[in-house]
Formats: sequence, C-alpha cells, structure tokens
Amino acid sequence: MRDRSTRLPPLRLVLAQSLVIIPLILSGCATHPQSQQAAVAEEDFHDPIEDVNRKIFDFNQVVDRHVLVPAAKAYRAGLSEPIRDSIHDFLNNLSEPLIFANDTLQGRLGYAKDSVIRFVLNSTLGMAGLVDLAGRWGIPYRETDLGITFGVWGIPEGPYLVIPVLGPSDPRDIAGTGIQAFGDPWNRLVSGEPWTLYWIPYARSAIAGIDQRARYLDTLADIERTSLDYYATIRSLYRQRRAALVRGERRNLPPPASFTENSGAPASAVSVSGTSPAGVVSALRDNSEVSAQ
Amino acid sequence: MKRRLVLIGGCTLALARVLPAPSAAAADPAAVITSLGNEALKVLGKNVDPNLRVTRFRELFRKDFDVPGIARFVLGRYWRLATPAQQQEYVTLFTDYIALVYADRLAEYAGATLRVTGSRPAPDGELVSTEIIRTTGEAPARIDWLLMPQNGTYKITDVIVDGVSMSVTQRSEFASVIQRHGGQVQGLITALRQKIASSGPH
Repeated sequence: MRDRSTRLPPLRLVLAQSLVIIPLILSGCATHPQSQQAAVAEEDFHDPIEDVNRKIFDFNQVVDRHVLVPAAKAYRAGLSEPIRDSIHDFLNNLSEPLIFANDTLQGRLGYAKDSVIRFVLNSTLGMAGLVDLAGRWGIPYRETDLGITFGVWGIPEGPYLVIPVLGPSDPRDIAGTGIQAFGDPWNRLVSGEPWTLYWIPYARSAIAGIDQRARYLDTLADIERTSLDYYATIRSLYRQRRAALVRGERRNLPPPASFTENSGAPASAVSVSGTSPAGVVSALRDNSEVSAQ
Repeated sequence: MKRRLVLIGGCTLALARVLPAPSAAAADPAAVITSLGNEALKVLGKNVDPNLRVTRFRELFRKDFDVPGIARFVLGRYWRLATPAQQQEYVTLFTDYIALVYADRLAEYAGATLRVTGSRPAPDGELVSTEIIRTTGEAPARIDWLLMPQNGTYKITDVIVDGVSMSVTQRSEFASVIQRHGGQVQGLITALRQKIASSGPH
C-alpha cells in the first residue's frame, strides 16, 4: 500500500482547496469556503437563486461523474505519486507571483515575504518548482487569491452562485478570478507572443483542475456519501472556508454561536448574530501566531 | 489481519482506560484532546474495517464529545419546534449519524501525528489548537477543538478544520433539509434514518 495517509487530502483539503491557480474545479467538488456569518444565520443561506444554483450544481455533478472523476482517476492511476506531487508543486510555484501580489495587497507582508522566498528557492534549487523545497524547510504553500484580497478590503461576497463546471462561487470571487487570470504573469507572457502558444494557459488550467480533483477524490466522495444534502454542505464549506481565508488568522474561530445560549433558548438567530465575529477575531489575532505577519 | 487490528484496537482502548484518562483530562482541556488524538489516530486507521471504525469512533465520541449539546446546536431554532418525542429520536439518530460521518472523515488523518499547539479561552469555552502533521511539505492541517466544562471534565462541542466549523456546516445542512421539507423536523428525522440505514450495519 502506498503511504496514502500522509498524502491524502483530508477534510482540510476539502476545505483548503478553493482557489488555486485556476479554479477549474468542478462541480460540487470544488471548493468550500464560505462565510461563518452566512452559516450562522441559519435561515439566511445568502442563496437567493438557490433553485437555479441547484440545477447547475446537478449539472456539474453529471460533468463531474462522467468527465472529471474519470480523468482524475486516470491521472492518479497513470502517474506515480512522486510525479503527481511534482506537477502539483510546479503548478503551485507558478502561482507564487500572484500569491505574493495578493499577500501584499492584503497587507500580509509576512506571507508576502514567505512567498518570495518560496518562489526563489523552489524555482532554482527546487528545479523550476518541481520540488517544493521551501515547504520541506518549513515555509509551506499558502493559498490566497484576489477574491480573498477583496474580502480583506471589506468587499462583501454577495450571493452564493454555482458556476457551470467551475462550481461554487460568488460575485466577489468571480471578479477576482477574472481579473487575476488577466493579470497572471504567465498568461501575459504567452499572450501576443507566437500565437501558437495560446493553448498554454488552457492546458495549465486543465491540468490544475485534474490535479485538484484527483487530490480530493476520496474526500469528496466521502462527503457526498455521508451528506443528507450535498449541495447545502458544499455551500456551507465553501463560504466558511473563504471567510476563514479572508480572516487570515492561523488559528480558527470558534463557532459563532454559543452552545449554552443555544441549548437553553434557541431563539438563537438573535443571540447568534449578536456574537460579534469581529470581536472574536481581534481577540484571537492577538495571541494567535498570525504567523508571519 | 483483521483480528490483529481488533486486538491492537482493543489493547489501545484498554490502555486508555487504565492509564491517565479522566482525572488528568478533567483539569485540562488540552489533555482531553491529546488523549483523544492519540487514541483516535491509532484506532481509526484507513485500513480498519469500516464498521469497526464506526463502532470505535462512537465510543470515543460518546466519551469525549458533548453529544446532546452538539445535537441541539446543530438543530438550531428547530430544536424548539420539535416535539419531545422528536427531540429524543433526533438525538439518537444524530449520534449514530455523526459517528458515521466523522469516523470516515477523521480516518483520513490516520497515521499522522497530532500535536497540541495551544489552548486559550474562547467565548464559548476553551479552544485547543492542534496541528496534524504529515510528512510531506504541505502545511499541516489545523484543527481546533472547542471544549466546554461539563461535570468536572471537558467535552468537545465543535471541531474546526482550517477555519471551517463542522457544527456550523452540519447546522447549515440540517436547516436546508428541514426547509426543503416544508419546515418539518420530521423531514430531517426521516432523512437521517434513511441515511443511517443505507450506510450498512454498524
């Protein structure tokens, strides 16, 4: 048996995945982030066009089942784990310039610095990014993107949207993804140049999508199998995860609602939203290793 | 093979019972998590027979989690709307359901190392931060555990993975199920019953 346990994307992945270079992720599979507040106000899913979203979600599930999962399985079966890891690390490395830019825009200079170190180290000693040396030496890859940057700036996420093929999103993330694709240095490098290179960004997106899907094969299958309402679960995971990335603290937040209040008087919609997440966040920030910051 | 695993599992549980367990845990929420982590990561291997895994997990879950509290939180405002009979049935079903879900999901961490990195008071109890360390260059998974004092010990009330609260996720899902059943708690109860039944014996 391969040493799967160490490599397998556990729940966190599930969670973690969200954004990547090219959110070519699939259907339900995709991401999970989502806002704590949204989940908290249980009645308000921030999902005004839920009926439409569910239809697209179902469509994405079909695509997932018939295209993405088979592709991901073939990818996993066809390439050995070290090779897949190298591809993954290579793709991550390509995204470091954008991560650096976003960390900087977010004012998270410690992370920005880490990103520079990672990029320089991995691009050179790490053989053009094929080996994540920096990660091994204690500077792990940290995802972020323009949608998160917008969130840090206080721009609200807006309603939950499911995008055909790409999966969970919202207006803020759609804008972020679009602008970011435009500003991606590698995309710019090949655009306009010999037109024969036009396919490169697409190939990169496709591989990134398959890489992501392959990493979450088991996790997402587990979640789908055990969910009562897979759509609702993914929606909650997506929003919470995005919100966590926006908050940016290394430590996690406790759930917004108090169990005590709740168990006694479930008029919790009020008590819940009354628990100001802001206060909690700042409290946590103080002594969390908000890492590098 | 299977039998050996059972033996190992049994020994682990036996040891856990003989050794420090509750008294040490009583004073210190971090100790609760450390001992749970050590037991769970050993006992819930990916290679363990799924039914056995669920059974074991249910034991751990009952011992260390505030099951009724979580069940109530997850039902949110619908708790009050449920009849006492429904409440009772729901809690029973929820316990089975959650063991099923978490045994699976946590099994992915089997073989990794759990390290407590800190502990601090939170608005709803005590928040214990842990890292699940894997051998690759990936950032360690961050799992935070929210505990509340209860009967002289601490019970877990939420598990937060990389900023994502499992209780909140569950609550959002359950609310969605209920809403799609015309606001009837019975709809959720039926769905839970079916899910548990379809997930095989345990």
